[in-house]
This record gives sequence, structure tokens and C-alpha cells, in this order.
Amino acid sequence: MSTGVAKEKSMIIQKEMIAQLSKELSMAKDTGKKVVYTFVPGNISELILSFDMLPVYPEINALQSGMRKKSEGFIRGAEKHGHSEDVCTYVKCDVGMMLAGNIGPNGETVPPPDLLLLSYTGCFTFMKWFETLERLYPGVPVALLHTPYQEAGHITPEMTAYMVKQLKEEVIPKMEKVSGKKYDEEKLKMHLRNSSKVEESIIKIFDSTKNRPSPIDAYFAGVYYIGPINNGFRGTSEAVDYYDELYKEIMVRVQKGLGPITPEGEIEEERFRLVVEGPPNWTHFREFWKLFYDMGAVIVASSYTKVGGVYDMGFRVNPDKPLESLAEYCMNCYTNLNLNQRVDLLSNCITKFHADGFLVNSIKSCNSFSAGQLMIMQQLERKLEIPVGFIESDLVDPRYFSYSNIKNRLESFFQMLEQRKLMVK
Amino acid sequence: MNQHIYTLGVDVGSSLIKVVLMDYSDEPVILDKRTEKIRKRNPEMVSDLLIDQILIDHNLTFADIAYLASTGEGEMLERKLGHFYSMTTHARGGVFLCPGSLTVIDMGALFVRAIKINEAGKVLDYKMTGQCASGSGQFIENISRYLGLSIEEVGATSLKSKTPEVPSGICSVLAETDVINMVSRGISTPDIIKGIHLSIANKIIRLLTSLKAESPVVLTGGMAMNKGMIQAVQELIEESKLGLVIKADPDSIFAGAIGAALWGGFRYYKLNSTKD
Repeated sequence: MSTGVAKEKSMIIQKEMIAQLSKELSMAKDTGKKVVYTFVPGNISELILSFDMLPVYPEINALQSGMRKKSEGFIRGAEKHGHSEDVCTYVKCDVGMMLAGNIGPNGETVPPPDLLLLSYTGCFTFMKWFETLERLYPGVPVALLHTPYQEAGHITPEMTAYMVKQLKEEVIPKMEKVSGKKYDEEKLKMHLRNSSKVEESIIKIFDSTKNRPSPIDAYFAGVYYIGPINNGFRGTSEAVDYYDELYKEIMVRVQKGLGPITPEGEIEEERFRLVVEGPPNWTHFREFWKLFYDMGAVIVASSYTKVGGVYDMGFRVNPDKPLESLAEYCMNCYTNLNLNQRVDLLSNCITKFHADGFLVNSIKSCNSFSAGQLMIMQQLERKLEIPVGFIESDLVDPRYFSYSNIKNRLESFFQMLEQRKLMVK
Repeated sequence: MNQHIYTLGVDVGSSLIKVVLMDYSDEPVILDKRTEKIRKRNPEMVSDLLIDQILIDHNLTFADIAYLASTGEGEMLERKLGHFYSMTTHARGGVFLCPGSLTVIDMGALFVRAIKINEAGKVLDYKMTGQCASGSGQFIENISRYLGLSIEEVGATSLKSKTPEVPSGICSVLAETDVINMVSRGISTPDIIKGIHLSIANKIIRLLTSLKAESPVVLTGGMAMNKGMIQAVQELIEESKLGLVIKADPDSIFAGAIGAALWGGFRYYKLNSTKD
């Protein structure tokens, strides 16, 4: 395996983009910019940006706090405040950070919200999360955008109309009031045109794992690649440029036959190709990734990169129908799909990207992901006769990360993969 | 060069190290086997002491060893020539001890793993208990300590049970609370211990069912030395009508180390035939 990692241009661009947003947020009080807190799944950032407001995503702050080893203190703070050990650790990390002065993971102050945009898809904890924030920020307006679950496995015109009605009667009026600006549909369309371009790039980027070796890791690196679109840049020209650059770099890797870049260096021998379901553990992200790197295991598709939007099944925003597009985008997010749809989606990924195995990382404190994972795993095992593995950790609570336990389980899993490969040969 | 082909298998567990010396020159034969508790010492140092002692006792030097193979957490051993996954070594060791076995239940300190194998000991599929310690040998050790029993007494005590009291099987913390409550209610020690064994056996039955396990089933790992545990598994297999035949060997605890020594011998010959 190779040593040393050179920073690619796209990495530098993303770092600058995120730093710029943090700076803008920390100066929001001085510049008079209004701040909207909202969630990654079903984030209608284009609408927020069309009112010249700045978005804050509490899950992103939580995961970044986890990566910077700050989450445990925040979680303990929230538990002291009355939150149970079983509550989602993104929530507790966010609440704990706020109670400790709302200094963000990169040291910049996160401004208080001017609006809580409760757009939630599949995860009902989001509702409780913002109820908590509403109490912690008394008087802040809340705009509720309820996304109907795809119980029947498809979106009906009534579901879209229901969401558009909420956008028109609940969300937009509140945004107009908070921002002091009138709804500008042309501006929204302009942002959606950018989103549409980005969606095309994202599909091409994640499709690149069809190559052998795969030029990217679609889980550990994948969550980094979806950073800009999930963290304030959906609908921006910066996102369009970033994803263009990233795609160019990936194509160079494909032409040179190079494997994925990891913090330990390049994976030079791709031994196993996996599809992973569930969020990663953020507190031990590098150690977690290294377990796969050491085994030459590359993730060719993952469900967590689809929480902020699923484009594999054909959905694209249509700038000519802006509100309908936002509605359908929300309803198409991964956690809003029913379990059969998730099985189909993952099954397609396993087949399309020629995966050798399927792995579930079950998250102790995330019900919206963990519910149904065993069923998903069993169905895929039965349907595709593929080796499956199951490990357990947590989002940002380091107390639930047991390195030896995960290593033991992964070793058994990788050994199974090796045996199956030998049998096939 | 000695005419014998000696191999060493070292299985480093979470609390116990197992070392096996084999003569691999013809039909593989176990020449010696040792265990040693780690007791908060450096596992590599403990392993080295065991290896050196075995070599002295057999009038051998390390140069006489054709292959030292490690398994379990033994990757840190400096003198090893190769490290083998514990699933492979338990499978190979299980078949060596009970030829013809088609399923291995590796019952270790940290987890239980049911492994489906073919006649040659090749791994076909596996299932493991969850992360919680309530499915592990360490859990039995903790409870026995709480009840004032040594780990050696646990099996015989369990066999004396008349009306076992089964604790929560979901979580070791809840189960420990159950046990405390049982003690205060005057439940006898054999009934508590048997209940613990049944709770773990229940998990094993679930693994065997989901694996679609086939007979015969060989038990390996530290818990396979526990007669009470074996009895509990047998009872639940009968109850569940899975129709599986369970086998255990007095050397079951060495299955990982035996498997490592066997794989070491196999690799030794493979490497030498490549050189030729």
C-alpha cells in the first residue's frame, strides 16, 4: 500500500467553501443576514438561499464535533440537562454544543436561528429535536414542512400537492416575514438549475465505482464528497464548479487505473468491493476506515451518501416546476423510502457495482436507520446469495465504539468474502 | 534439519493464551498443549514464555520449528511466520478434533460464532452474536465471580440445577441485575448458573437456526470446557427439534491453536513445494 496523500484541488476548494460559510455565519449578526436551522435529509436550501438567508445544519455540526473529538463532552452536557442515554447523539451533541456557548466545531460561533425550518423526511426525532431547540431559543418562529412517507413505494400527485400547499401557505410566508423579502421564483429557479447540474455530476461521480479498481471509496470518501451539497451549497454555482472539478479528478484516476485515496494512502490492491448500509461512526472515523484499508476493502456504494437526496432512481429537480421539485426531492430522500424500496436500491447497487459483500453498520442511537436493517440484510442475503456482515457503533458517542468488537466482526466478514471468492474461482 | 516437521499454533484470546506443538511430518499429531492466563501482562511476553517452555520440555530450539502460526489476537507475535483468522483456525481445529463435523460453534470469551463448514473444514458461512457481552464467556465468568464460584466449578454447579431461573438475555447489565434480584429472592446458585447457561444457549440456537446448521456440530473455545453449558445447548436443541448432534472434545479449548498449527504445516509444505 502506498504512503502519503497529496491534497487534490477539489479538497482545497471544499475546505475553502466550508470555511467561507462558517465565517459568514459567525458574522451574521454584523451583516444582518438571517439564519435558518434545517436538516440534511430534505434540505430545501435553494429556497433558503433565494431569500438570501444562511442555512445551518445541526447534524453536520454534530458529526464535525464527533470527528474533532468534542462530541462526548457535549453529549454528557445534554444528558445532564435531562436527555436520556438512548436519545439520538446528533441531537445531544447539538444541544450540548448550544448549552456550552454554541461554538462550532471549527471554533467559529454558530449564530442563533432566526427561523427553525423543520423539514423532515423519515426521521421523527427531527420533530422532537426542534421542539427542544424551540424551548432553548424562545420566540423563534418554526416553519413545519411535513414530508409524507413513501409507504406505498411511490409518490402520488396528492402527496406532491400536499407538500406544495405547505410550502406556499406555511414555509414561504414565514421565510418572507423573517427575511423581509418577497418570494422570488426566478431566483429559486436559478438555484434549482445549479442543483440540477450538481445532481448530474453526483450521479457520474458515484457511478465511477463501476470501474476496477474503483477510483473512489463511496462511503468514507463519499460522505466527504457530498459535503458541499449537504452543507449549504445546494443550488450554488460554487457547488457546480466543485463537482465539475471533483469529477475531472476522478476521471484522471480512472484513466490511470488508480484506486481510492484514503488518509493512510492509496489503496493499491482492491481485494473486496462492498456496499454499506447505515451512517459511519464519526468519533473514530479514521480508525474505522483503516480497518477497511488494511483489508483492501473498497466501498462501491453506500446508503448514507443518499440521505441528502437519492438520484439513482431517476429523480432530478425540474427548475420549471420549482415547488413541485422541492417537494419531490424531499420525498425521494433515502430515509423517506419504504423498506422494500431500500432493499431494491441497495440490491441494484450490489449488482451494478459488482459488490462482493454487503455490510450494515447499525447505529445505537439512530432509530430511523436501524429499524429494518436486519430485514434489509436478510432479504439481500436471500435474494443475491451474497455474504453479509453486521457491526454496531454510534454516530458521535465514542462510548459506543468498541474497536475490538468491530475488528472481530469485520475479520469474520472479510474471511467469509475471501472464502466465497475462492469458491467462485 | 530435523526429520520431524514441528509446527506451533498460538491462539491469543482476551484472557487466555493457548499454545499447541504439533508434529506435522506424517499424520499431524499433537505433541503438547498449554494454556496460560494473561493476568494483565503483555500477551506477547506470555506467549513467548509458553513457547520457550514447550521448546525446552521437548528438547527443541526455535530453529527446529518449521512454522509458528498465530491466531486470535496473536498478530503481534514477532516470531510468527503467519497469522490466520480465528474463524479458519477454529473450523480446521474443530474438524481435527471431531472429524466429519459440518458446523463449529466457537464459544469464546467475547462472543459466540456459529460457522458452517464443509468436510475439509472450509468455511461456507457464519453467524455471530451481537455486540452485547450477554452472549459471551466473559459474562459467565463475571456472574460466577459474583456468586463466589471459580470458573472451574461453574459446569458442575449448573448440572445440579432442578428449576433453572433464566435472566434477561438481551443485555448483560440487565441480566446482572436479574441475578442480584435472584440471590435476594433465595434462588439457588445452581438454578441461577443454569439460567445463565440457558440464556446463552438460546442465542446459540438462534444462530444455528439462521445459519441452517448441519450435523454434527462441534463446540470449540473456552465455553466448550463447561459441561453445564454443553448440557444447556443440548437441552435447547432437543426442545427446538433442530435434530442436531452436538460434540465436544476435552481439547476443544485448543481448537484455534490446533487449527493454526495445522494451517502452519500446510503453508510450510506449500512454500517448500513452490521453492522446489
